Amino acid sequence: MNIFITGAATTIFGELWGVSPRALAKEAVGGALADAGISAKNIQALFVGNMLSGMLGGQEHLGAFFAEELGLGVAAFKVEGACASGALALHNAINSVLSGQYETVCVLGVEKMTDHKPEDVATALMGAGSEAERLSGATFPGLYALLARVHMEKFGTTEEDMAAVAVKNHYHASLNPNAQFRSILTVEKVMKSSRVADPLKLLDCSPISDGAAAVIVSRKKGVQIAASVVATDTLGLAQRKSLIELKATREAAQKAYKHAGITPKDIDIAEVHDCFTIAEILAMEDLGFYKKGEAARAVGKTKKLVINTSGGLKGCGHPVGATGIKQVVELVDQLRGRAGRRQVVGANVGLAHNVGGSGATAVIHILKK
Amino acid sequence: MIGKAGKIISWTIVRVPPANFGFQAPYPVVIVELYGGDRIPAQLVDYVPEHLKFGQKVLTVVRKTIQSDIDDVIPYGIKVKPV
Repeated sequence: MNIFITGAATTIFGELWGVSPRALAKEAVGGALADAGISAKNIQALFVGNMLSGMLGGQEHLGAFFAEELGLGVAAFKVEGACASGALALHNAINSVLSGQYETVCVLGVEKMTDHKPEDVATALMGAGSEAERLSGATFPGLYALLARVHMEKFGTTEEDMAAVAVKNHYHASLNPNAQFRSILTVEKVMKSSRVADPLKLLDCSPISDGAAAVIVSRKKGVQIAASVVATDTLGLAQRKSLIELKATREAAQKAYKHAGITPKDIDIAEVHDCFTIAEILAMEDLGFYKKGEAARAVGKTKKLVINTSGGLKGCGHPVGATGIKQVVELVDQLRGRAGRRQVVGANVGLAHNVGGSGATAVIHILKK
Repeated sequence: MIGKAGKIISWTIVRVPPANFGFQAPYPVVIVELYGGDRIPAQLVDYVPEHLKFGQKVLTVVRKTIQSDIDDVIPYGIKVKPV
């Protein structure tokens, strides 16, 4: 597609007690504008990806809220799709430029989660699930645990296989100055961490985080957006025919490869949605990098492909509305050869995979150097 | 929805519960395939650990779901028990 990312920036992710959502947004958008070499007056529309500001902070109407805070005064939209809010906002931004309505737009992903009690955050996040799941007392770790159990039974995937995802992603995060966790893990440490929703343990889970990320989408040359695809599945797990895959991921990926004119083998780097360790294993299969049931043994042993160089949701942190944009910022940094100690040499094609809920929404972006 | 039979097709034990579920934790959440093919997520009650297995037969029952609110209204919903 004749459309590009011309600027990209992210704040540090973490428990940012002393930083407001306003300050996070200003830092991310200011960084993206500076990176693109433009100013706020060049922006014709703002797309904000966010999930929880209403439920946790009592603030909705985020389009107008951030347009004012950022001094943009342009058409502004909030896009919500649970943990895929960021990538969904980007998809809408891309379509708005492709339609000819705007030439240059800004996409902001932002979330502030750590100012609230964990049980309240768990309840708010369950807004992404079905009513029956909420009434059953399920949590998001619980829903992915239900998927993990089936994968273990069907393919012999072990808790150690899942732990290896966290170990790899923490290693990558240790090289990322913006990551929430810079600590090195071991499989043993993951295995000994407290149980959250069996078989998932604390260190199988991405954290509760604060953070923001922003990109500038434009007709002007930059990193090319080769595909932007959204797929939707049932809200609840119980309504799905298959529990060994996220069908929305598979469908969005197949379309995205077609749109970009490539196959999974052409992908050099991928930022995949590892909200829980099992989710990265599912993604490796559903994105077509491995046959169904074969990814668990391949974690950290992929040959050319490098997965989650940012540290992923597990290591870099998961401020839910910001995650989908942070993934794209990481790809842009890699494709431009400015990813520092975690730079993948010769990275030309990158894929970002952002999931909402337990797989009801999947968004795939493919970027080319 | 009461008295329907089915079998467990996946299960977990929620140890870090959402708000208002704290008094029950830890508790199992299962996906049940009811006879006829419909699937539902539900909490498993009246169980021992050996019941947490693929194919375990269960029956839907009515139980208190979450902590009563300030007016002492008791919320009820569907759960499942082993048979």
